[in-house]
Amino acid sequence: MSVAIVTGAGRGIGRAIALRLLADGYRVLGCGRSARGDDFPAGADWVQASVADTAGAQQILAAAEALGRVSLLVNNAGVQVEKTTADSSDADWDLVIGANCRGVFNMCRAVLPGMEKTGGAIVNIGSISATAADPSMALYNASKAFVHGLTRSIAVDHGPKVRCNAIAPGWILTEMADDAFALANDPEAAKRDALARHPVGRMGAPEDIANMVSWLASDQAAYVSGASFTVDGGMTAASPLNPGSF
Amino acid sequence: MKLQGKTALVTGGRGGIGRAICARFLAEGARVYAADLSEGGSLDLPGGEADFIRLDVSREDEVRAAMDRVLDEAGKLDILVNAAGIEIEKTIKDTTLEEWNRSFAVNVTGTFLTSKYALPLMRKAATNGTTASLINFGSYDGFIADPGLAAYCATKGAVHALTRAMACDHGPEGIRVNAICPGYIDTPMLQSFFTGEGSGGGGKDIGALQQAVRDVHPMRSYGTPDDIANLVNWLASDEARYASGQLWVLDGGLSAQVQQMKL
Repeated sequence: MSVAIVTGAGRGIGRAIALRLLADGYRVLGCGRSARGDDFPAGADWVQASVADTAGAQQILAAAEALGRVSLLVNNAGVQVEKTTADSSDADWDLVIGANCRGVFNMCRAVLPGMEKTGGAIVNIGSISATAADPSMALYNASKAFVHGLTRSIAVDHGPKVRCNAIAPGWILTEMADDAFALANDPEAAKRDALARHPVGRMGAPEDIANMVSWLASDQAAYVSGASFTVDGGMTAASPLNPGSF
Repeated sequence: MKLQGKTALVTGGRGGIGRAICARFLAEGARVYAADLSEGGSLDLPGGEADFIRLDVSREDEVRAAMDRVLDEAGKLDILVNAAGIEIEKTIKDTTLEEWNRSFAVNVTGTFLTSKYALPLMRKAATNGTTASLINFGSYDGFIADPGLAAYCATKGAVHALTRAMACDHGPEGIRVNAICPGYIDTPMLQSFFTGEGSGGGGKDIGALQQAVRDVHPMRSYGTPDDIANLVNWLASDEARYASGQLWVLDGGLSAQVQQMKL
């Protein structure tokens, strides 16, 4: 049975990805900075480690290889700090760049030697914020641009055995999004406004991203590499100005 | 005086943006032909007076005649600006075939025809290492959609692709081809959009709507025709001799951001 590594698998999008890959028949290894949560799926394994450290990435790889051949890596772990460039501290840089850039790099570098021998796929979770900015999210926006750039490099350098793609999620209802709404002056009005900006009439669910991960990992996507797919309910197809929603 | 000795033709030359471009070109020393369907409005502009050519850009005979006149009078054409354009404020459900065809006739076929018949004149300008400059008008709506502007968005996407194609084909002849992609510019077309039913603005407080639009822009304002003329002037000048095949978005940062939720 082939093994899938899902980073940041404890909650939100990562947890949905882990559940989906279990259903797809993978042996799933989830990882995160926290201990295994009570609600983490019973069929999946867990290792507590930080992707931001080289040693942590090696620890995750070793745990995965103990389960079998690693054929899929999903780099989902990510953090956000809601600050402008001027307000960001060295600690903010280390946190955001450490997890979102170095973490993705560490994990890809760890799995590539094995994948180059036996084949495999990498799916990185980027963001729509990689190509257009969310205000006061400077390091996060920049870190996600890195993810899409590294995705293309890996596809170019490590094909044909390895396919590497990225997903740019829009607004997915996770704890991270709930936090953002909770900070709004009028959280209910904020949610109504957000809904009006989505052509599909709803915000995303973690499962919407898991569906795309499943497809990108599958043989259906055998000719897909180096690509970034946006899954955002049509939000970025529309102008930021939508008089209808004023 | 960046355009001394150059001859320019600006379609839509009496429109909001076209007129500002004509004025700027005159101030920079160019000989300017303002081509427009409309006969109204003075072309006696600060910096000089533009020559008027009445022109429906979608009619091949009229375009050919216009270029023949420029050739007779000026002997060459250094700069062509395809600023003529129309905007139908409807979804495709409500757009008639006639409206769809008219949108493409002016915005796409017009750009094709004026470019096609200007090329021989532009080759005459592009000699001894000097380049000629062809500037199309795309739109930020060619990248991301405003509601109720379906045919307009489609025509602008077509202009973007045509711009790159012409840049590839005619670069070796010394002709540079670029497109300007304006965001919200204060023109009669924008006012019509604000008051239009199809765009969702109909019946609302226009002042409040305009302020809301400004507030969504990182620069907190929408643009003026002069903002566009500034970039057109640069692209038309010899300073831009290595600039070709690009889509120049000028929108006060509007499209640099993702949708701004009201948090």
